[in-house]
Amino acid sequence: MSDYLWDKRGEADPEIERLERTLQAFAQAEPPPPLDLRARPRIQRVPRRRAVLLLAASVALVAGGLSLVLVVRRPEPGWPVTTAQGRSTLPVGQWFETGAGDRARVEVADIGTITVEPGARLRLLSTRAGHHRMEFARGTMHATIWAPPNQFFVETPSTLAVDLGCAYTLTVNEDGGGLLTVLVGWVGFTTGDRESFIPAGFAAVTRPGIGPGTPYSERTSEAYRQALARLDFNPGGADVERALSLVLDESEERDEVTLWHLLTRVPDADRGRVFDRLASFVPPPTGVTRDGIQAGDRRMLDAWWDSLGLGTTSLWRTWSQQWKDNSYRR
Amino acid sequence: MPRVPALAETETARLVRSAQTGDREAFAELYQRFARMVHGVVLARIARTEVDDVVQDVFATALERLGSLREPAAFGGWLAAIARHRALDRGRRTTPTEALADHMAATRGGDPVEALAVLDAIRSLPEAYSETLVLRLVEGMTGAEIAERTGLTPASVRVNLHRGMKLLREKLT
Repeated sequence: MSDYLWDKRGEADPEIERLERTLQAFAQAEPPPPLDLRARPRIQRVPRRRAVLLLAASVALVAGGLSLVLVVRRPEPGWPVTTAQGRSTLPVGQWFETGAGDRARVEVADIGTITVEPGARLRLLSTRAGHHRMEFARGTMHATIWAPPNQFFVETPSTLAVDLGCAYTLTVNEDGGGLLTVLVGWVGFTTGDRESFIPAGFAAVTRPGIGPGTPYSERTSEAYRQALARLDFNPGGADVERALSLVLDESEERDEVTLWHLLTRVPDADRGRVFDRLASFVPPPTGVTRDGIQAGDRRMLDAWWDSLGLGTTSLWRTWSQQWKDNSYRR
Repeated sequence: MPRVPALAETETARLVRSAQTGDREAFAELYQRFARMVHGVVLARIARTEVDDVVQDVFATALERLGSLREPAAFGGWLAAIARHRALDRGRRTTPTEALADHMAATRGGDPVEALAVLDAIRSLPEAYSETLVLRLVEGMTGAEIAERTGLTPASVRVNLHRGMKLLREKLT
């Protein structure tokens, strides 16, 4: 890459300069316009003056010889739910269902919202600062989460969805299988040691008893998706060879995420073919070899992922370990 | 690869901690520092005429939620995530009809039709590339600045710039 594209130094690239001139009218004004927060909510703080008055009042009551038990009533942990019938609170442990023509909006504490489509069934499992967990048994939900990664978990009959800072749609079928489509950010989809890492613009299927399938771009063909399903969920089938060939032949540069996942999912004998196809789009970085990938070297797999430009595996590994540690800690 | 703006990150973390205690001047400084990044992230997704309003909304949301941010050094990535979500929400509610050419013609120089075509081409790229290219080509940020403000690693930004630019050249030829 020219230094000019990176830091505007060195010999200027005429085409980049022309693009900069063309696009300059779209830029943020300098300085930016004043920030107007007058009608916005503020960070809630306990006013010091009120705290002092409360303390003084308590001391006065005790000094007056009054026997007083102060009961501080904390709100029951739960998530606010809004439906056409009104607002209510979903407490921990309770199931919630939407009828055939109903939708609901669920506030996930202070970290995001879920819109639930008709015919859905869900349960709040736990909610506390930094950790919010629910079970989604069936239906379709749209989640928008603005908290840092690894705070919002959705259990389904066949997998666990871990929010990594994103917006996504999750559908769970009657048989417990489902589909997750990511609109913004990333979602981790994990069952035991099987994990899928799904970026924006990608989707992944999940099946009961198996877990998440390989992520695929939403621009791929139906044949491509069916071939991936054969590789993921029927690896001993007779037409696996044909399915892998179809995936490799139809893969384009955008499918690098799919190919990277396949490196660990196809039989050892086929890894070389996947390596070659991925290498044709994203050359393996220094230190990553065909033999190493064929041997399943985790360090090399991580290094290659990092070169895709979708975020580093160090963060992913940290989050992954954290949610495994927390898997049954509700 | 070393993270160039380590000092700036420290200053950002200090500002975030101050803002979390209610220091409005600290939050105003954060706004000055991050407004361009948020503007670019939003512009990569929705019509220009909607962007300024969404940027204000992003910072209002950030102020409201700032107490839930446990790692002040992660402010940039956290803010970028809010910006992406807010842009997505706005995109769902409004049709991105770009009465933009008129708007631009009335503002600054350049060829608005060509600018719109280039911006559309950038927006058609995969998300990671389009966002990084808008921050570089529209907002004028360097690669190191993009990494520091968005929380991405410099290596990721470098890859996004390189591959995004390659795809953009192909689209524009």
